[in-house]
Amino acid sequence: MTFAEVLRANQSMVFSLAFHFLRDPGAAEEVAQDVFLRLHQKFDELEGSKHATFWLRKATSRRSIDYLRKRGSRSAISLDDIAEPSIAEQPGDPLLNRRLRQLIATLPEKPRMVMVLRYQEDLMPEEISDVLEMPVRTVKSHLQRSLAMLREKIDRSMGDIR
Amino acid sequence: MEDFEQQLRNALARKEQPPTFEAKVFAAVAAQRSGRSIFWRWATEVAAVLVIASGFWMGYQHELQQRAAGEAAKARLEVALKITVTELSKIQKTVRTSTEDE
Amino acid sequence: MIAIRTVFIACIALAPLCAQELKLPANLDRLASKASEVVDVTLDANLLQLASRFLSDKNPDDAQVKKVISGLKGIYVRSFEFEKAGEYSESDVEPLRTQLHTPAWSRIVGVRSTKSSENSEVFVKTEGGKIGGLAILVTEPKQLTIVSIEGSIDPDQLSILGGQFGIPKFETDSKRKDNGHGKDQ
Repeated sequence: MTFAEVLRANQSMVFSLAFHFLRDPGAAEEVAQDVFLRLHQKFDELEGSKHATFWLRKATSRRSIDYLRKRGSRSAISLDDIAEPSIAEQPGDPLLNRRLRQLIATLPEKPRMVMVLRYQEDLMPEEISDVLEMPVRTVKSHLQRSLAMLREKIDRSMGDIR
Repeated sequence: MEDFEQQLRNALARKEQPPTFEAKVFAAVAAQRSGRSIFWRWATEVAAVLVIASGFWMGYQHELQQRAAGEAAKARLEVALKITVTELSKIQKTVRTSTEDE
Repeated sequence: MIAIRTVFIACIALAPLCAQELKLPANLDRLASKASEVVDVTLDANLLQLASRFLSDKNPDDAQVKKVISGLKGIYVRSFEFEKAGEYSESDVEPLRTQLHTPAWSRIVGVRSTKSSENSEVFVKTEGGKIGGLAILVTEPKQLTIVSIEGSIDPDQLSILGGQFGIPKFETDSKRKDNGHGKDQ
């Protein structure tokens, strides 16, 4: 496999992970570029495309959390919150999608990343545990609590219009 | 719960990177290879992006914009229809309840 | 029992031929800065046409929506949700009411709840003996919703959308009769 192949196969995943976590397209692009630059430096250590994908998920998660810590708890206003919804590919109810993304952005960093890995990448708790180097029971606990909180807030805020 | 999890998957569906992303990564890698300073890396990055953007990406971006505009219009249409039917449904329910009470 | 479809037909028969386009009050824009949630949808004829191109004839849901919007010239929605009551007043809505009380428009439903202070009204515009527009005005202490649909609209076509895209089911009375429904949904 070549670096170009890995980049093309994974750039959407990397950018999207950073975007859904940071809710800032500029920051997501910066993080994603840094991750691929690091990947290029470490390319000879990778053992195939699956390993590359795993490495990228791990690096993107770590880099995104670091970025958020450096930036502080101030959350950037994402363009798709205030402009025309650029939701070309997203199925489902646009209002609900937007509300869910807003609520996920209020989660603390670790549960937030757990939710993004679970529902963007469809990773199982064991896989998330490997990516984030976190015990499986902690991953499950984050999922359980986050789901309960989101569900309760959505039920309250959306009401009949759902 | 399954339905709610699907809604979460919908909300967190992958978002596409900007069209110039790939070019910027290659430019940064090239600058890194040549061992240039940060300034030169930035300059190379900008030059690479400008060269590519001024030609090859114009048509591609236009197509992306059209598609995005169309999908955005469709999404807004769904929102509008949903609100319309929801409100009519609520009104009809209230009317029926009050006339059946009479 | 009030039958919405029957009232639609009655309005077509009785209303005069003159028609006016509904203008949403410009002062509604300043309510957006006070609202905690805003839905602002403006789809003119061009955007409706654009949206229609992205509705697939092969998908039954999309095909239904295409049918509903085929005769429309515009859909405009302004919905504001406020943290507390009193953030808007009747004077904000008055310019709209003035237009809706002109001869072209007929109020077909008016529902007021003294318990929740919610007031919901549905207006229909007639043009040349046909429905040329629909307006819905819902005022609650913490919410204001205005829907304006311009163009030819069939309430039965709207009701068919129920159950799709998360839209709740809504049956006109003619549909209820056909389905043998005898009670509320």
